[in-house]
Amino acid sequence: MSEYVIEIESLTKIYKSGKTEFKALNNVTLRIRKGDFVAIMGPSGSGKSTLMNIIGCLDRPTSGRIMLDGENISTLSDNELAEIRGKKVGFIFQKFNLIPTMNALKNVDLPMVFIGAKRGDRDRRGSELLEKVGLTNWATHKPSELSGGQQQRVAIARALCNNPAIIFADEPTGNLDTKTGEQIMELLVTLNKEGKTILLVTHAIALKRFANRVVNMLDGEVTEET
Amino acid sequence: MMRDTFLMSLDAMRSYKVRTFLTLIGVIIGVGSVIMVTTAGNSVGTFVQVQWNVFDPTGMAIGTGTGGATPTLSIRSVSFTPTDVEKISALPNVKVVAPLGIVPLKKVSIRNGFLQWESRPGNVMYASTAALLKIFNSELESGTMFEDGKNEIVISKSFSEVFGKDKTLKVGDTIRIQRVDAITLEAKIVGILKQSKSSYMIGSIATPDIICPTKPYYSTYFGSNVGTIFKRVTAYSVLLAEADDIKNVQVVQDEIYNYLINGSSDAGQYKDKNTDFVVITQQYIVNRIDQVMSVIRMYITAIALISLIIGGIGIANIMFATVTERTREIGTMMAIGAKRRDILQLFLYQSMIIGLLGGVLGITTGIIGSAFVVNLLNQSIQTLGGAISQAGGIGLSYSVEWFIIAAVVGIVTGIAAGVLPARKAAKMDPVVALRYE
Repeated sequence: MSEYVIEIESLTKIYKSGKTEFKALNNVTLRIRKGDFVAIMGPSGSGKSTLMNIIGCLDRPTSGRIMLDGENISTLSDNELAEIRGKKVGFIFQKFNLIPTMNALKNVDLPMVFIGAKRGDRDRRGSELLEKVGLTNWATHKPSELSGGQQQRVAIARALCNNPAIIFADEPTGNLDTKTGEQIMELLVTLNKEGKTILLVTHAIALKRFANRVVNMLDGEVTEET
Repeated sequence: MMRDTFLMSLDAMRSYKVRTFLTLIGVIIGVGSVIMVTTAGNSVGTFVQVQWNVFDPTGMAIGTGTGGATPTLSIRSVSFTPTDVEKISALPNVKVVAPLGIVPLKKVSIRNGFLQWESRPGNVMYASTAALLKIFNSELESGTMFEDGKNEIVISKSFSEVFGKDKTLKVGDTIRIQRVDAITLEAKIVGILKQSKSSYMIGSIATPDIICPTKPYYSTYFGSNVGTIFKRVTAYSVLLAEADDIKNVQVVQDEIYNYLINGSSDAGQYKDKNTDFVVITQQYIVNRIDQVMSVIRMYITAIALISLIIGGIGIANIMFATVTERTREIGTMMAIGAKRRDILQLFLYQSMIIGLLGGVLGITTGIIGSAFVVNLLNQSIQTLGGAISQAGGIGLSYSVEWFIIAAVVGIVTGIAAGVLPARKAAKMDPVVALRYE
């Protein structure tokens, strides 16, 4: 097995609307090692979200090749992409994106529902993860009854549910106050230390310090790496 | 997996209680009103049929009127003689024939010492024979049948109270009958009929209040001079006949018709040239009523079905709104591994549950509502009074096939209404859906 969890080669993504074309990604080549904590930084419109969406199997590239955990995902069908999203990818969003009609526990084990896991296994895994993020006592609460920080912890637990190869965090502190944001970042660092590969997408320079590798993007191209 | 998406749908519906409830009501009203309307139609249909079910199914009425595909029978002219009655009786497969002579009454009165009670006009008196009872499916409750030539009559149950409930007529009482030609005749009541369920026979021919022998009460006749003697032949406007078996109704009908038109009959000789002979069977009457009723039923059922469709549109509308509102949730689910099929199921289950639950509750509502509607109809019939109320009102008669149709249409509309919104949800681009505000 390769030491890289992600291998991107000359990835290009062009959005078309009518006759105008917009090159969101221009010939991006990037490799991410297992266990890395990578921060992709750049202003809005730089293509960092598009890159994340494509690596995260939410979108397809116009051209180029991506290997995710040893699997070529550039040319998969909708169903195959959904399956990979469920098994190999975990998402953390700026707005937490919890399902408001479900309690914390159900939100956490939802990814297991889509891979057809049994109720008992789900409950066990869900409780385990809630304990990990320190929310054991909040299992039966709906998202609306939780604070922003707590909601993001639930979302992190959910991202860990199917033990994915990589976790994507899209501006995970964007809707939180500085202190809570720090706590969330600490949690991500802890996860990274436990061996999780994390890809952070942000334009907040303050978050740079949590990552062990920073990729800067501008106008759809990787400009520099530090 | 399917069980899980199903539970998730239930969860979602529980979270949108008011919305789910209102959508449900739309379906309940739709299904319920279809059942109510069809049940009311069915009940009224049965009621009307009983009203007209004077004859035995083997019975038929012979008269003159307008022939053709939809024959009508007129009672205005007389054509049939006692000879015709005899000859038709002798035809093969004919069980019994009864003449029907209409005796127009002015009033009926009774003496009680110095007092005299009079009835209001409008009582129906027919001159006939004992055979009439057979054809009418009628029986004597008390007393005997009259003898021809005697001043004896048989009266209906309801007529026995014509002078009031406290002055009920009994067998053995004598009343005075005044015909429209001002001749008054004494009549001894020898029998009282059982309560009849029907109030009409054919067209305007009502069930009789009084049945009497031709002699001495009925004196409509054809007169002719044979040499120096003036000859009188009694003439009836309608004959009633019965076939010996339901299989032979058509045969008998044809036989009678052929006998009448072939020239050897008295009726053929006396009949008004501008009219036709008509033989109307009970089956024909029943069929005609059925036709009329089914048109009415179809009309109201169509209206009810429209309300069911509106219920379906309600589901579609609310599902579209829900899908739009939950766009970001859909995106999220897709991001964490939901396949398009899962999303489709999630929303289809919701509309299915609404359709199914609405169907079941709609049937319940329909059953209860039907009883209410029929009760209401009965109340309004009671105020009509007269002939109809004696038939005992409208019985509740559910049409089970419409239960099934309404439930199936409800569920199918529910699912169909959910298909488009669910497809819309399943087809979303996860990237766009996640960004949705």
